[in-house]
Amino acid sequence: MDNLGFLFAANAFVWAGVIYYLFTLKKRNLALERDLQLLKEVIEKEAKQ
Amino acid sequence: MTESAAEETPKENYILLWLTAAVIFAAMAAIYLYVPTERTEGPVQRIMYLHIPSAWISFFAFFVVFLTSILFLWKKDREWDIYAHASAEIGVIFCSLVLITGPIWARPIWGAWWVWDARLTSTLILWLIYVAYLMLRSQTTPGSMRARYAAVLGIAGFLDIPFIHFSVLWWRAFHPQPKVITAAGFGKGLDASMMMTLLISLAAFTLLYFVLMGQRVRQEKLRDEIDRIKKEKLYSH
Repeated sequence: MDNLGFLFAANAFVWAGVIYYLFTLKKRNLALERDLQLLKEVIEKEAKQ
Repeated sequence: MTESAAEETPKENYILLWLTAAVIFAAMAAIYLYVPTERTEGPVQRIMYLHIPSAWISFFAFFVVFLTSILFLWKKDREWDIYAHASAEIGVIFCSLVLITGPIWARPIWGAWWVWDARLTSTLILWLIYVAYLMLRSQTTPGSMRARYAAVLGIAGFLDIPFIHFSVLWWRAFHPQPKVITAAGFGKGLDASMMMTLLISLAAFTLLYFVLMGQRVRQEKLRDEIDRIKKEKLYSH
C-alpha cells in the first residue's frame, strides 16, 4: 500500500492553511497599525492648530 | 493597555517564532526521516502526526475559550473576552484541518471519505458550534451583551469535547481507539519511535498555537485602541 498522493494532500492542506492564516493575521495587524498611526497624526495636527 | 503596548512587537515574539520554526522543522524531519513506516497502512499513516496534533490544538484552543469565557463572566474584564475570541478562531482553523486530514487519511484505509460514526459526527458538531460562535461575534453589535452571549456559547460548546474523547469507547466506531491517553497509561498504544515523533509534532503545533494567539490578541488590542481614540475624539468635540 503506497498512497503517497494522500500524504502529500494532507501535508499541503495543513501547511498551506497555517501559512495563509499567519499571513492574513500579519496583513490585518499591519493595516491596523497604519490606521492607528494615521489617527495619532491627525490628532497631533489638530492639537497644534 | 498603554498605546505603546499595542504598537510594539516584543523581542520575545521573534524568539518564539524562530523556536516554533525550528521545532516544526524537527517534527517534519522526524515524520519523514526518523519514524519507520507503519506495516499495515504504509506511508499514508504519517498523516497521523498532523491529524492528532491538529485535534489536540483545536481541543486546547476550545479549552482556553471555555476557561477565559468563565473568567470573563466572572470578572467582566474585556481582556478575557479578547483571549476567548482569539482562541476560538484558532480552534476553528485547526478543527477544520482535523476535518480535512481525517477524510484524506480515511479514504485509502477505510475506502470512504466519511462515515457518520460517533467521533466524526461529534467533531463536526464541535466545528459547527464554534463557527456559530464566530458568526455570533461578527454579526452582532460590539459590546458587553455580545461578549456575554459569546461566553455562554463558548462554555456550552466545550461540553462536546469529553463526548468526542469517550465516543469511541462508548460506541462501536470506525475511528480507532485512543492511542495516546489510554486505559493502560500515557502513550501505551504506540511504538516508542512513533510516540516520540508524535510528541515532537505536538510540541510544534502547541508552539504554533502560541504564535498565532500572540498575533490574534495583538490585532484585537490594536482594534480596541483605535476605537478608544475615535471615541475620545468624538466626545472631545
